[in-house]
Amino acid sequence: MPPRLFVGVDVGSLSTDLVLLNDQGKVLSEIIIATGVNGAEAAEIAFDEALSETELTRGDISAVTATGYGRASVAFATGKTTEISCHGVGAHQLFPNTGTVIDIGGQDSKVIQIDARGRMLDFTMNDKCAAGTGRFLEVMADRLELDLGELSNPLNLEGETAPISSTCTVFAESEVISLLAKHTPREQIVNGLQRSIVNRIWSMVTSIGVQGEVTLTGGVANNKGLVLLLEAQLGRPVNVPDNPQIVGALGAAHIALKGYSQG
Amino acid sequence: MMNIPNRKEYLQQQSQSGQQIMGVLPALYPREMLWAFDILPAEIWDPPGDILHANAHLQATICPVVKRSLEFILKEPDIINAGYLFPHTCDSLQNLATQVKDLIGVPVPVYSFYNPKGEFNRTTRQYYTDILGDFQTILEQQHGSLDRKKLSTACKLGHKIDSRRLELQNARMTDRLPLSNSEYFQLIRAGEYLQPEDYLKLLDAISIPDEPIPNDKARIMVSGILPPHPDMLEYFDDLHLSLVADDLLAGSRRIPRIKLDPPQDPMEYLTERFFLLPPCSTKAGSLDERFRYLNKRIGNSQAQGVLFNIVKFCEPELFDHHLMVKALKDTGIPVLSMDTELQGGLSGQDKTRIEALGELLRDRMVS
Repeated sequence: MPPRLFVGVDVGSLSTDLVLLNDQGKVLSEIIIATGVNGAEAAEIAFDEALSETELTRGDISAVTATGYGRASVAFATGKTTEISCHGVGAHQLFPNTGTVIDIGGQDSKVIQIDARGRMLDFTMNDKCAAGTGRFLEVMADRLELDLGELSNPLNLEGETAPISSTCTVFAESEVISLLAKHTPREQIVNGLQRSIVNRIWSMVTSIGVQGEVTLTGGVANNKGLVLLLEAQLGRPVNVPDNPQIVGALGAAHIALKGYSQG
Repeated sequence: MMNIPNRKEYLQQQSQSGQQIMGVLPALYPREMLWAFDILPAEIWDPPGDILHANAHLQATICPVVKRSLEFILKEPDIINAGYLFPHTCDSLQNLATQVKDLIGVPVPVYSFYNPKGEFNRTTRQYYTDILGDFQTILEQQHGSLDRKKLSTACKLGHKIDSRRLELQNARMTDRLPLSNSEYFQLIRAGEYLQPEDYLKLLDAISIPDEPIPNDKARIMVSGILPPHPDMLEYFDDLHLSLVADDLLAGSRRIPRIKLDPPQDPMEYLTERFFLLPPCSTKAGSLDERFRYLNKRIGNSQAQGVLFNIVKFCEPELFDHHLMVKALKDTGIPVLSMDTELQGGLSGQDKTRIEALGELLRDRMVS
């Protein structure tokens, strides 16, 4: 009997991520594509890419869990779960001692407490504002004429930092414009932006507390400077997955697997 | 199926038929006394539509209840013909009373009703009886002498309404109420503008079965000033979340905690009734008492989690909120706090939070 196969698809505001698992939890395919204007279509494209890569057909898939803000629009999903639960499960799969997940996604950020089985205990999420998210960094990268990779250069913790006081993306952009007009070096502005995001995350962390190991998920976890700064702020190391963007989809795939196993 | 009249159409019809209507701001006021003067109190703090006029008179950090009330006062002056009543709920509403009366100016009287605050004892009871008397005197200047028989009849009607609402509330806590989340709050909010006889008919039309209605819904309690937006209530229904109890100023905080004896002396009855209302942030009472009350309701309704529906910039509630959340979390109750603007639908982030709370509660049910 061929192994049962499971898919998790995370339709986020910036990227659509898909993970294909076998019934042993082994990852067979990971796809990341830009969501664009149509999340449903992006999910279809990601699904087809994964099937093509593994030479499978849709009929080979036993269950699909959709997550992310576009979760309701995924026509081929057999179930849907919030990205909050999925990031908890995904982080638990990668780092089983995780007690706290910090997910910094494209348009929102979350802090999630999970138990020893990866189940959510508590969570907090940013409110109707893109500050402290991937979109915040994208806007600032544009304004500084840097690509996202350059914006993630490891932070010089001892170096000078331009203060970015605002935690609103629009106001922060105005502050960056003022700093550029004063010929503030871009490295100092980048330091200030990273610090601004960490401060934003820190306020969420303090509202629900930290327990166990901390795992950072979402695309912003690729920002090395920000990770260093977050570790300094938390006073403890932070687990960063090899592919932090895929953690929500990984969790969704495991939820599909578990749901199928439990009937 | 409930047949609840549309608020604006109902009030327009009442006004056209010569009914005196007083526009009332939230939340605690002696409605029975107004009924006895043949005045229909109609709450005006949540009119639909954009805020176009009120912002010119208010700072940006004022809560939407104040903004929407003023928008109504500026935009719909014809419906209200007997004045506006501002209970002393918070400083923002009291300041609005001053603005409306002294700065903006309206062609009808503006009344205040200064509810007692803080610890309740014999002095505050006497104070409440006194302000009831003062309010009666002020109304008599406009509407003639109070007919004591009418006040007695109004109190009996109010007593029946309270008793019925208490029954419905208890039925909701024990899964015997055949109404969705949205329908329940539509019914409760109809009391904000219907004639008491009409409202009582509506309440009496709901039949309560003796046995619980079986369901596998996760159970939530909601706390705050105002009920969740109708979109949110429908979303709860979609997600199979049941709002089994509330601690809302627009809801259960207006229903006496226990069934009172039928009224004998109207003034004594109204005083007794006020002091039997649940603890409320706008009464600046003891936080411990409010926490005990909340815990008791959680226990009675077997709510698994609490959703705080916080009106933006609501000072009285925000003072309590942080401490209440901490105290509940310390007892292991999951809590979700959400900001509300009164109007406008649910954002994707709002939906995700509510859904995540549902997932958390269901996980606990399974385990």
